Amino acid sequence: MKQQLFSATLDNGITLLGESMPGVESVAVAFHVPAGGVHDPAGRCGLATLAGELCLRGAGERTSREVVDTLEGAGATWGHTVSTTHTSYFGAMVARQLPTVLPVFVDIMRRPRLPPAEFASARDMVLQNLAGLEDDPGHRTMAMLRRLHLPSPWGMPTEGISSEVEAATLADVEAFVATRMQPTGLIMAVAGRIDWDEFVDRVTALMGDWRGEPGPPVSAGPRGPHVGHVPHESQQTHIALGWSVPPAHDDDSAICKAVLTILGGGTSSRLFTEVREKRGLCYGVSAGYSSQRDFATAVCHAGTTAARAQETLDVMLAEIDRLPGSIDADELERVKAKVASGLVMQQESTASRAGSIASQWYHLGRVRSIEEELARYDRLDVALLEDWLASRPPRDLSVVSLGPEPLEIPGAVSA
Amino acid sequence: MPFLHERLPNGLDVVAETSEAAVSTSVGFFVATGARDEARGIEGVSHFLEHMAFKGPVGLSAEEINRRFDRLGAAVNAFTSEEDTVYHAAVLPKYQHAAVELLAGLLRPELRAADFATEKQVILEEIRMYDDQPPFGADDRCRAAFFGSHPLAASVLGTVESVGGLEADAMRDYHRRRYAPDRIVLAASGAVDFPALVEQAKRLCGAWEPSAAGERAVPGRPRAAASPGVERIARPAATLGYAVRMAAGPAETDPDAERWAAALLAVVLGDSSGSRLYWSLVDPGLAEHAALGHHDFLDAGLLITQLSCEPEEVDELLERILEVYAEATRDGITAKEFEQARNKVAGRVVLAGERPRRRLFDVGLEWSHRRRYRPIAQSLADLDAITLDDVHRILAAWPLDAPAATVIAGPEG
Repeated sequence: MKQQLFSATLDNGITLLGESMPGVESVAVAFHVPAGGVHDPAGRCGLATLAGELCLRGAGERTSREVVDTLEGAGATWGHTVSTTHTSYFGAMVARQLPTVLPVFVDIMRRPRLPPAEFASARDMVLQNLAGLEDDPGHRTMAMLRRLHLPSPWGMPTEGISSEVEAATLADVEAFVATRMQPTGLIMAVAGRIDWDEFVDRVTALMGDWRGEPGPPVSAGPRGPHVGHVPHESQQTHIALGWSVPPAHDDDSAICKAVLTILGGGTSSRLFTEVREKRGLCYGVSAGYSSQRDFATAVCHAGTTAARAQETLDVMLAEIDRLPGSIDADELERVKAKVASGLVMQQESTASRAGSIASQWYHLGRVRSIEEELARYDRLDVALLEDWLASRPPRDLSVVSLGPEPLEIPGAVSA
Repeated sequence: MPFLHERLPNGLDVVAETSEAAVSTSVGFFVATGARDEARGIEGVSHFLEHMAFKGPVGLSAEEINRRFDRLGAAVNAFTSEEDTVYHAAVLPKYQHAAVELLAGLLRPELRAADFATEKQVILEEIRMYDDQPPFGADDRCRAAFFGSHPLAASVLGTVESVGGLEADAMRDYHRRRYAPDRIVLAASGAVDFPALVEQAKRLCGAWEPSAAGERAVPGRPRAAASPGVERIARPAATLGYAVRMAAGPAETDPDAERWAAALLAVVLGDSSGSRLYWSLVDPGLAEHAALGHHDFLDAGLLITQLSCEPEEVDELLERILEVYAEATRDGITAKEFEQARNKVAGRVVLAGERPRRRLFDVGLEWSHRRRYRPIAQSLADLDAITLDDVHRILAAWPLDAPAATVIAGPEG
């Protein structure tokens, strides 16, 4: 079936995206405001997260409680996240509820009340979440990898640093919201049972007269590679490896993703076969691709008993090292099958499609049709992957471990 | 969405909910066996066997199985719970046949000795992984305290000792008794070619022999915690304190209206947002998480409270939670809260119904447990028929503030 994609741009810089999906009763929205962790001022790591929380606590005519009651009274499954680059709002609901839900999200983005009486509670909530993340060894390991490998401020923990969140004031939040919660660069995507013209009219009526200036750009500081260890009394040691690869908008990103899928993207992948199936070293081991707009990272992760962590790391490094010159055609065919079925199945979830078109707009400045995305992988052959690996072999790896004892890192890994 | 059913002569049921709008096909084998069916000494065998299934039948290696599934681009996985072991795959419709062929093979594993030894290490890693994570074993310990000598007290993963000491012959015996076709449902959802599915089931599973042995033990229904009171687990490396509290609630075999009412009650009191626990503990920043959920088994139900907060606050906040429950029991909930909860649950039902991958589990488990089919429209109608009084009756019949089993894990226990 032919996909029905729509886009429009308002003169204040808001981009509207839509995908009409036949046979569904629901509609899903994904709104991305360019206000994320990278915009935290120095000494206030976590301010975007705190602002995101406070913005929910009363907006427009509604109190904190009325915001939640309106969304949930409409039966919407909803949430918000603050990422490195955006504060995002998601919702999925029966289509007829969109006119009830839309104005609430608009008010949260445009007219947050930032009530002083809620500030201490919002800050405590952020601090509670930070304390909870301390008990998640996998999260801590990946956070340390980002911090060592990515250029500052992209590697900083979006969820915050306790002492800096504690130091944040209501005035800090007000300044952040005034500078960063702006229409320029705002992406509003909708997918499912939609009437596109009606959606554009509604958003134009609610947002068309919003004016603002984009906040100042963020410049990237120095980056890895680095090696780090987090001492932690646990049964398992967690290992994370990262190296730099082309970002999503680069033509080579499909090649890179294919290589990473061969390395660790499924049960027939090399890491799963060598680390788990043949040696029984761990329960979970994988490789993946993580992209910001202007740079991306290949990431591998495993968790294993401390006594077998060194062997696990050695096997992982050997598999990464072995990639150039070793790709076989059957592996690549499996990647293509995985990509094809993943893209087709996205069409059964309105939330997946809304998220996907919004994310593509940010990374690419446009939305690729599923057909076009499939074609990017269909054209791949072993020679293309090998040529790319020859010119961009994995090197300058950052290596992070978390557990009772640090691991021995071969000198050749990290420059 | 048409529903189709056929039973093979050996008792294996084939069921499907088909959808014209679907662009994918989901299929799964639902085996009515899990942790509650394990004898003492082999705790964890159901879950270990689920892993061993992926090592393959005679003549097929684990690596080859993994390659074949990945060649289909299949989203394949399995899970084991107290009552079920489920093997499932989502594929493009053209791969229905190939996916069923592979899945059926998983249910008749060879259980090779070398694979058994290697996979045992993987399971032990999985046990350690969960042991390092919140709630640091408090959930398993709490279920044991609630159920006492009832089979539902068993841990799905088992322990380092029970899995470490497990012999392949004990697994073979368990498999022979529990993986009989009269305890297996082959379910499908989405774009399904049902006649082809039935033909394939006959060819692949028709020779599987029913088992006379190993009926599931269903002792008396536990209506209260076997060991009420508070147990503590000390984890010096933990940052927060974690509490799990289990009280009795409606079971899966209770009338649907009671289960819906219990689900609505849990949403009103303890959903992850917009609930009474949310507004009184999470929104003010007192707790990282505070929630109430209803979980039902065939012959028992649980109302499970989960709390995480600063370790020194756990006892006090548990008291606050009991006050929230006592107030609801005394004064009831409001019509507005009830309507909001019903709208939320209805929204979730509709969204889940649009995804064949999600729908597979509803269709498969419903047939496996109850031998019945509930279309989405029926579920929505049932939900719509629930009244505020139904929820109040649940509060009266299953008092949340009555003595329950509680386990607290934290840096000092």
